[in-house]
Amino acid sequence: MSAPLLSVEHLDVVYDGTITALSDVSLTVAPGQVVAVLGSNGAGKTSLLRAVSRSLQPYGGAVTGGTITFAGQDLAGADAADVVRRGLVQVPEGRRIFRDLTVAENLRAGGYTVRDKAARAEACDRVFDLFPILAERRDQPGGLLSGGQQQMLAMGRALMASPQLLLLDEPSLGLAPLLVDQIGEIVTEINRQGTAVLLIEQNAVMGLRVAHAASVLEIGRVTASGTADELAASDDVQERYLGVAVPVVATEVVESEPAIPTAEPPQRLRVEGLTVRFGGITALSEVSFTVEPGTVHALIGPNGAGKSTLVNVLGGTYRATEGAVHYGDAELTALRPDRVAGLGVARTFQNISLALEDTVEDNLLVGRHRLMRRGLVPGMLRLPGARREEREHRETVGGIAEMLGIAHLLRTPVHTLAYGDRKRVEMGRALAARPSLLLLDEPVAGMTHGESQEMAETIRQVRRDLGLSIVLVEHDMPFVMGLAEQVTVLDFGKKIAEGTPAAVQRDPEVLRAYLGAAAA
Amino acid sequence: MSYLLEQVLNGLSYGLVLSLIAAGFAIVFTSTGVLNFAHGSIVLLGAYLVAVLHDSIGFWPAVLVGLAGAALVGVAINAVLVRNLADKKPDTAAILMLGVDIVLLTELTRRIGNQVLTLGAPWGASVVRFGDVSLPTGRVLAAGVTVVAFGALWYLFSRTDLGVGMRAAAADGPTASLMGIRLSRTAATGWALAGVLAAVAGIFLTSFPAPGVAPTVALSAFAAIPAWVLGGFDSVPGAVIGGLLIGLTSALVTGYESDLEPFLGSGFGEVAPYVVMIVVLLVRPSGLLGSKEAVRV
Amino acid sequence: MSDLPRRISGLVLLLVALALPLVMSDFWLQTGLFVMATAIGAVGLTLLVGVAGQLSLGHAAFAAIGAYVFAWSTGESTTSVSGLGLPPVLGLVLAAVVSAGVGAAFSPIAGRLRGIYLGLATLGLVFVVRHLLVNLDQWTGGFVGRSVEPFAVLGFSFSNRDPDYLAIAGVEFSGLHRLWYLFLLLAVVAIWLASNLRAGRTGRAWANVRDSETAAAAMGIGVAGAKRSAFVVSSAYAGVAGAMLALAYGRVAPDVFSLTASVDFLVMIVLGGLGSVAGAVVGAVFVTSLPLVLAQYSSALPFLAAPGSGGLDPSTAARIVYGLAIIAVLVFLRGGLAGAARRLRARLRPTPAVGQPAVAAPSRSKETTR
Repeated sequence: MSAPLLSVEHLDVVYDGTITALSDVSLTVAPGQVVAVLGSNGAGKTSLLRAVSRSLQPYGGAVTGGTITFAGQDLAGADAADVVRRGLVQVPEGRRIFRDLTVAENLRAGGYTVRDKAARAEACDRVFDLFPILAERRDQPGGLLSGGQQQMLAMGRALMASPQLLLLDEPSLGLAPLLVDQIGEIVTEINRQGTAVLLIEQNAVMGLRVAHAASVLEIGRVTASGTADELAASDDVQERYLGVAVPVVATEVVESEPAIPTAEPPQRLRVEGLTVRFGGITALSEVSFTVEPGTVHALIGPNGAGKSTLVNVLGGTYRATEGAVHYGDAELTALRPDRVAGLGVARTFQNISLALEDTVEDNLLVGRHRLMRRGLVPGMLRLPGARREEREHRETVGGIAEMLGIAHLLRTPVHTLAYGDRKRVEMGRALAARPSLLLLDEPVAGMTHGESQEMAETIRQVRRDLGLSIVLVEHDMPFVMGLAEQVTVLDFGKKIAEGTPAAVQRDPEVLRAYLGAAAA
Repeated sequence: MSYLLEQVLNGLSYGLVLSLIAAGFAIVFTSTGVLNFAHGSIVLLGAYLVAVLHDSIGFWPAVLVGLAGAALVGVAINAVLVRNLADKKPDTAAILMLGVDIVLLTELTRRIGNQVLTLGAPWGASVVRFGDVSLPTGRVLAAGVTVVAFGALWYLFSRTDLGVGMRAAAADGPTASLMGIRLSRTAATGWALAGVLAAVAGIFLTSFPAPGVAPTVALSAFAAIPAWVLGGFDSVPGAVIGGLLIGLTSALVTGYESDLEPFLGSGFGEVAPYVVMIVVLLVRPSGLLGSKEAVRV
Repeated sequence: MSDLPRRISGLVLLLVALALPLVMSDFWLQTGLFVMATAIGAVGLTLLVGVAGQLSLGHAAFAAIGAYVFAWSTGESTTSVSGLGLPPVLGLVLAAVVSAGVGAAFSPIAGRLRGIYLGLATLGLVFVVRHLLVNLDQWTGGFVGRSVEPFAVLGFSFSNRDPDYLAIAGVEFSGLHRLWYLFLLLAVVAIWLASNLRAGRTGRAWANVRDSETAAAAMGIGVAGAKRSAFVVSSAYAGVAGAMLALAYGRVAPDVFSLTASVDFLVMIVLGGLGSVAGAVVGAVFVTSLPLVLAQYSSALPFLAAPGSGGLDPSTAARIVYGLAIIAVLVFLRGGLAGAARRLRARLRPTPAVGQPAVAAPSRSKETTR
């Protein structure tokens, strides 16, 4: 085999000095090869690309160990602009085209490093050849293009620099199966013209189809690597990423009395004909489902399916364009988010949102805000009532911390905590609000297998002891299988299936949404 | 009638000068996210350099030094201070610029002392007549130079790699750097441009009919803040429109002060731009031409 | 507990502040009055900007309202200006209440704007208030301002009259001494209230609104209400500070409450560390006393020239030192003096071991959600 074009050896990446994103990751890309890196949310795939394209720094990340060699040269000390000039160009996740610039101007920005006019014209011709639609719409602002066209523009923009190695971050994200296949063909064509490709994908089917070799990244480590065919045949990869034969643990429906008698009993949550549009984009379209009191209801679907949008509507953060959400007798869609919280609806966030400088105890106490009654003046004067209230709520919060196993961290500022503990603190803050409906937005994203098992156990325990309803938004199908009584599956903002975990898992629509058109 | 016309023309030419300053605010803000409270000092610095140098090296060379000096100081502030902020939040950067403004303005004030430095502009106190309307030559020249300057800016931002790169960097810095665009370079260019525009504005603000270079000139930059806000925080064309509107408003309010005084009090011309600004921020927080502030959850 | 050293040092500081007037000259007493007045203003501003995250360049406008309401409500009507002739205690309360009311009236604007956008709107407020001060001359005295009645409670005056001569243990208590104790009382109460506020339910709510309005609302915190209450409290503090400045000067004039004064307040809290009550007080000591002290002792400092000689005069030197201090703190000291103190304490005290760092992707890698 010839000398590798890109060689990553024993790479470690850390964010904000405390959070490890990658450890001891090694990988090579030979000239003219397509290499795929597979893995679920939070596995560290994007961090790997950022390390290679030297763009970690704006996100607070840093390479703390290992080397990255490109075309025989060590990239240590090179900045993002240097690597582009050396022929290594990244297409970022989510396309990130310049929306206010025209298509032609986007391409011009892509060719920024090419000083030679003829070379630039040639690259431009090649891009228009690959993507005729871009030539057609060259004078329109990038923001007016559709999702698939934006992905093409993002790839074309990168090709303007005529790279030796193209880094693609989730090109299939949020695209319809047909478009995913088309993008896959374009990647193959780009490779045929002589450009090596490092492809990051959650969609394992697409990734393995276009790649020569692949690695599987899990929680910052490479857990499997080999040729695409070897990996496609491996049991482990089949089970985890190709959705074959996932064992379903039957959930017993527990009819339990609430352990905290003062909590308001959960109500029925009814989502009716919910549509949400942002500008021209329809994020949710006529979604309806019902969450029975005291059950765990999972919302699953690929990235970009509209799950987070739905949680944000339930919590009152986003407005519904059409349709309504009722919780008992209250219409959530007509209320401000703080009023929704006042009804006993608490939530966690996909991107943890805690007060980092404050202690765990203070963060948990924020959850008690709606249950505390003393206002500004008694608090300022430290009247006896306010002091007593503060003391009582500190005790309650201590009990919650105990239950979640973070009692020893109560006096610790959150910014010193590890990621898994932060997730637990956020869960604790939501529980401190004594909810009757708990919205969990990707509670195990970025956790190790063991940690996510622990979290599953915590969720079961919470439901059993507190008798509340839980809406669980998850990306990871196996995780919800053992946990939820009912599953609603979203794809492109539409409900495509609903039922028990076992039924949903066999649904052909679901298989296609998760695994691409080829699987159906 | 000719009084009204004169006030309008005066307001428009003053507004164009304001729009140079406002465009500087917009360019620095889009290229580095900094609310440049030291912009007034840079306006003053440009005029001051011309005033102290024109005797020894002649007016036009002094103008060149003034423009270059203002640009360099801007670039240095960005490279040495803004990029090294311990806490990179817009609020913190704005407060940093207040500190820079205090240092620069205090030092320039000390150097100028109680004197009013003249600029030595060749057009002096001459006046141009159009029919029965007369305007100071400096004001007419200011209008012409400003129009040329904005033409050049338009060409830069839409027809050159550097300009398109700057717009890309302003829209999404991390992504732009993936195209090989060096953010440090686009930022430095932005600060330099703002400095040049500020110095040009400074020269016109301190030549006839103004008496000369005095520290109060730095306050004119504050009058350009409403113009900038009015046009939209990230829009150069917006800055032009904002400048013209604010220039007209202050000229008319000042020109008809005796008629307005019973309702609005004396000196309302100075406050009118800020009143307009508060109203605009309330009704249309993104200004007339600005893009909407995206709120991400 | 960790509170104990803090309480002891607070007590020591209080005793020192009580004893100081016995030994200090009139210059230092006067400086102390200005420091205590501005410290209260700074504490109010750090609650607004540091804790609740609402950038304000308009603090001087609220202080001006407090000062003028105090001067007008306690002053007597003369041929040029009107006054209500109310008791000064009532005037002080009125100053706080009216400022707070204007803050409440301004808060809908604050509800719509964030960050520097809000900063710019409050900047406009300074110019508008100044225009009103100059033009409403039958109440304000216009450009020249108006004089302020000395403070008095139940016939006891905080000036050199009523009683004409007061001495305790052989030390004469002049008007400055009496005002010192009045100001000290107000400052201690203001600091105590602010610290309680910061540590309790309201303070936590404000800090969460600052960190993420979305998360705060999801926890049941009414965002608009939290911002309004922050504006009201901070304006009330500014109002009291303004009234105290009026008392310390014995006069009010529009120039005292210019944009520079707003910037000074902001600088105090930035130097001290945003959100820190103690930091705001330290910042006020530095910013307020620096120019006064340099001016007083300029003859003793060889590098300073006399004002107007074109050399480095004391007020110029003070402003340059103070501009450089802002720059230095922002570039080198993350979190201001309070942040530096916190880091120092953390380094001196061994921290309990925190769980092993888990291997995980950071939340930032998911920034591309719509």
